[in-house]
Amino acid sequence: MIWTKLVFGGLGRRGLEAAVAGIVLSIVIAILATSMMIVEGARDALRRTEQNDRPDVVQVKGRFNRALFETPRSGNLPPVMLPVYEPLIDPAELAAAVGAGTIVPRQSFLRNVVSGDTFLNIYVFGIQPDRERQVSSFSLARGRFLRDDDGAVTMIDQASAAALAIDVGGAFPVRKADGGDLYLTVVGILDRLELRGAPPRTAETPVLARDLPTVSTGAFVTLKTSEAIFGRETLTDALVTAPSAADVPALVGAIREAFRLEPGIFVTERYEQFRRKVQDFALTLALFALVGSATALLAGSFAANLLHDVYAERRSQYAILIALGFSPRRGLAPGIAFGLAMALSGTIAGGVLAITMAPRQFAMPSLMADLGTIEPRLNWAIAGVAIIVAIAAVVLGMIPIGLHLLRRPVASTLSGNG
Amino acid sequence: MRKPPLVVMRSVSKAYGGEGGTVALRDVSFEIGKGEFVCLVGPSGSGKTTLLNLIAALDQPDRGDIVVDGVEVNRLSLADAAAYRCDRVGIVFQSYNLIPQLTALDNILLPMIAKRRPDRQRAAELLKVIGLADRRKHRPPQLSGGEQQRVAIARAIANDPALVLADEPTGNLDDENARSVLDLLCRSCREHGSTLILVTHDPVGIRSADIIFELRTGVLTHPGNDFARKL
Repeated sequence: MIWTKLVFGGLGRRGLEAAVAGIVLSIVIAILATSMMIVEGARDALRRTEQNDRPDVVQVKGRFNRALFETPRSGNLPPVMLPVYEPLIDPAELAAAVGAGTIVPRQSFLRNVVSGDTFLNIYVFGIQPDRERQVSSFSLARGRFLRDDDGAVTMIDQASAAALAIDVGGAFPVRKADGGDLYLTVVGILDRLELRGAPPRTAETPVLARDLPTVSTGAFVTLKTSEAIFGRETLTDALVTAPSAADVPALVGAIREAFRLEPGIFVTERYEQFRRKVQDFALTLALFALVGSATALLAGSFAANLLHDVYAERRSQYAILIALGFSPRRGLAPGIAFGLAMALSGTIAGGVLAITMAPRQFAMPSLMADLGTIEPRLNWAIAGVAIIVAIAAVVLGMIPIGLHLLRRPVASTLSGNG
Repeated sequence: MRKPPLVVMRSVSKAYGGEGGTVALRDVSFEIGKGEFVCLVGPSGSGKTTLLNLIAALDQPDRGDIVVDGVEVNRLSLADAAAYRCDRVGIVFQSYNLIPQLTALDNILLPMIAKRRPDRQRAAELLKVIGLADRRKHRPPQLSGGEQQRVAIARAIANDPALVLADEPTGNLDDENARSVLDLLCRSCREHGSTLILVTHDPVGIRSADIIFELRTGVLTHPGNDFARKL
């Protein structure tokens, strides 16, 4: 009880200054925490963008075949093979061009699968399963994922499987380029798939995700199987993963150089767009770091000054305690406890203020247009910085008094000449 | 027969403001025995408070040695000086120096808390001794000057110190209160066998002292009992 009185009692008119210092400290923490939450939100948005955009991935694709629109829509017609992209990419030439990059090769095409008296348009993708999983996202509902050494087996989405009325273990025929049928046995059913660089959806096919302009369903086979169906080794499209995002411009240059004589091959990259987002992020970071730091500095100094006045008033009490035989550490303990209480309450109040008052979504029109709206986020690092800033303000307020008491004779403080 | 020395000062000098500054003490030497009552007199600014501060290790001398109860006071660190005061010294200040937000009882408890032996019963007994048993829950601003100084005396003797230093404890009190406070201080010190060094201008206090020292411009003299008789 005595210690509580020593810490908080008898502030008198300085109590008002202490309260104002506490409020200012809370506001400092709130502004600082909000700024940092926005910066953290922007950082998170950038992280998500990097994951989604994959700026290190370059897409190489053949010219789109518009003959696809002539696909018959009804009737018991013989299956017709129509490629989504024209198979113009020579894998050996591409491999020579990309150097250290990793190629994710694909043969993407469309088949009419005849089943009884109906037929169904199905996208068939020849892939290298292990490499494709590094860039695209698959969710398996039943069965297993495709393996690199698989033969005439397929992994099909559940919408197509339902349309074909088959399940794992079932089989359906696809017409090969030589006119014969190849029966593909279903080994896995997919309930969700996000194919990176998926071709545009231009024909009536089953859908897993509605309102998507790109293909969201298909039957996946190994590249070896698709070559057997397709009758050739050239690729319709491929993704190339650069060793790092910064290598993308050089990689794109090398691929364009390799295929400069083939006007039907297109190379697209997202690195430049991503770089602009990074610049936006850096600007956002700088702006909010500046706002946060300036506010913390100005208002924190004000709070420290107010606290210094409170401590100056208490200086003689700390000196009396030391004169009565308290060690300097114990003599200054009430001041330290008071400062910690101020810092803690300021941090908690400021943190609550920041969490409740900060916008749920935030966007700066001129800066973060490419990042879109961001969600301010609180994490332990922000809490740590807030506590450190609050303690720093208190320490700044206390240090002159502490140094005075520790460096000068106690007698000078007691006599009021210090 | 002279009692064994408790306080020994040898050639102690102290000046404020560095070279050419104000000289507070000039080559002061003396010995004070255990249980003795010493009165320190002299005009304002003669160095009396400085002398007490040096003995209490609240300040450091420029030159000379101070030994109290075997402790070389002038070589103590801040923490050791605090421990020395905690174990051996009780101080009564002219301006009381009570903590205003604490009650009278709490103020008396402070030296015991410093020694990590808080004893509320003893603090209450001390309050009874100084005649303020009914004021235990009063805070200093609610007490008169005389009452505050009594609390300060009780605080000074709370740990039964070997040495009590009192710097003009009656300086801010009227005559009646001054007599009462001095009487209490002297009686308490004699009862506990403490050595008392009292700075005062009060003739009653001076007359009852075992030894009288006079300080003039930092120089210590021993005027003897004639000084008291002249008062």
